[in-house]
Amino acid sequence: MAWLDELSAGDIAAGVAAGDFSAVEVTQASLSAIDARDGEIAALIESCPELALDYARRIDERKAQGQELGCLAGVPVSFKDNMQLIGTHTTCASRMLEGYESVYTATCVQRMLDAGAIPVAKANMDEFAFGSSTETSAFHPTRNPWDTERVPGGSSGGSAVSVAAGEVTLSLGSDTGGSIRQPASFCGVVGLKPSYGAVSRYGVVAFGSSLDQVGPLGRSVSDVVLAMQALTQAGRDRLDSTSQDCQSDFCGTLNQGVAGGRVGVMRELIEAEGLSDEVRDGLKRSIATFESAGAEIVDVELEHLTSAIAAYYVIGPAEAFSNLARFDGVRYGYQEPDCETLAEQTAKSRAHGFGIEAKRRQMLGAYLLASGVYDKYYYPAQKLRTLITDDYNKAYERCDVILLPVAPTCAWKLGEITNARQMYLSDMFTISNNIAGNCGISVPVGLGSASGMPLAAQLQGPAFGDATLLRYAHALESEVGALGVAPAFFGKGGEL
Amino acid sequence: MPLTRNDVAAIADYARIALDDDELTAMCDYMNEAVDLLEPILEYELGAIEPTYHPIGGLSNVMSADEVDSDVRALSLDDALKNAGAREGRNFRVPSILGDDGGDR
Repeated sequence: MAWLDELSAGDIAAGVAAGDFSAVEVTQASLSAIDARDGEIAALIESCPELALDYARRIDERKAQGQELGCLAGVPVSFKDNMQLIGTHTTCASRMLEGYESVYTATCVQRMLDAGAIPVAKANMDEFAFGSSTETSAFHPTRNPWDTERVPGGSSGGSAVSVAAGEVTLSLGSDTGGSIRQPASFCGVVGLKPSYGAVSRYGVVAFGSSLDQVGPLGRSVSDVVLAMQALTQAGRDRLDSTSQDCQSDFCGTLNQGVAGGRVGVMRELIEAEGLSDEVRDGLKRSIATFESAGAEIVDVELEHLTSAIAAYYVIGPAEAFSNLARFDGVRYGYQEPDCETLAEQTAKSRAHGFGIEAKRRQMLGAYLLASGVYDKYYYPAQKLRTLITDDYNKAYERCDVILLPVAPTCAWKLGEITNARQMYLSDMFTISNNIAGNCGISVPVGLGSASGMPLAAQLQGPAFGDATLLRYAHALESEVGALGVAPAFFGKGGEL
Repeated sequence: MPLTRNDVAAIADYARIALDDDELTAMCDYMNEAVDLLEPILEYELGAIEPTYHPIGGLSNVMSADEVDSDVRALSLDDALKNAGAREGRNFRVPSILGDDGGDR
């Protein structure tokens, strides 16, 4: 007898390939964990047992026929509910898309399935990914499995929680300004935002097209690496014109260590007032860990880091406004009944289909793109993007990765942050990475001595330095130790 | 100068979002607070800096022949219409586009 909670993605794929257990048995374990656990944490919008078992049976048939199985054979996975998957709905946690039936499958989802992953659920999120706490979901908030009074972070909060609570082994999220890394940090799991273009965005509902990137969340770096292998091994996706060939032997380089490498830090940032003592301690522990592993710590400067949040809240809303203009209540999405004209139907469908934060971001974007205002904010924000990217390029001449906080604090209580500006500022350490198109990862570094909540360090790397980034993350995790499934949920269902 | 209620109402009209009076008041507060957050942008001397519109440079529009390509998973008619609020035969059904007064709004 085994518990799904104790198995890595690699253990599951190896176990299915060896015939220790079947993909159907693993899937049933995942579904029983969802039944036993999701009532308390509400990580999911939809579970899809029939679809999951159907995929699992296909894996078992392949095994019976002696065919080769993929690197994720039998691994139960959830997908953020902004990713299309035929046989499920895709709601973006919005009334606007409630009941929307996926009419095709996103490339990122398809590649996971091609590697043998089992699609068991669609995960909750902030509505259209606008948020940092998963409280803006139109359906329900998601709760942090380490303390259900606290938020899981966001916007990929459901993805992080489904992994942290052991409902699934891996999840795919999306990260426009920190939406994979911050919830991973709050929930004690590993979350990778790959370099922009490394993973196809085809079939993922767009928020900020020059910022969005899909990436995996898992309970260990090696699980996340397996997912990256699956996502990238088929090369670029011609259905996404920004997709790049990012094939790399992620697994092969993972254990090469960091001796002789260089980790960049910004000392003044680690001592900054806004950082909680626990987060600061976690960073100092990470520095010590890298030093003892033989890496050199070097000082770097990102001069324009503090202005990145302003640039982000120009570029993000402007792109969101353009992208969400497609929701006009005609081809899909909520349609206001009994309207006299198309214009009335459009304006009322958008007013009543979108939640408050989705309306705020679009209003801000509409304003920023208006004649006269464009020159004041939008154009300068894109120039600032050049400076931010140059800062990073200079820093990476001196180091392989940069160590940063993910967020200034651990997870806060539900309802604690109600002010939009305060919520936006919580993303200040993750946003610059999206602006530059670089890669970043959140790695758990233990529990806070005061809060008892997961803490994390963020590592950032240059564009397409994903394999190196993962190697440093693995070195850190090897010393500090992964947190595993949140103890309160361990062993509830999920028996294999 | 802060945005006024009238300014915000005009933006809502442009964004095609029908806000009621209470929402307009709250949105006005939000917009002014959000724009305030953007102020650091104005502090930089950015004259000679080239803008970066996208992290991947050198992108160009993707053109293709005007023919059905099964590789790009073109939607069937039924799939394309599946999630529409109203349909009629092979078409999306919409209310009057011009309205009774012949204007465009």
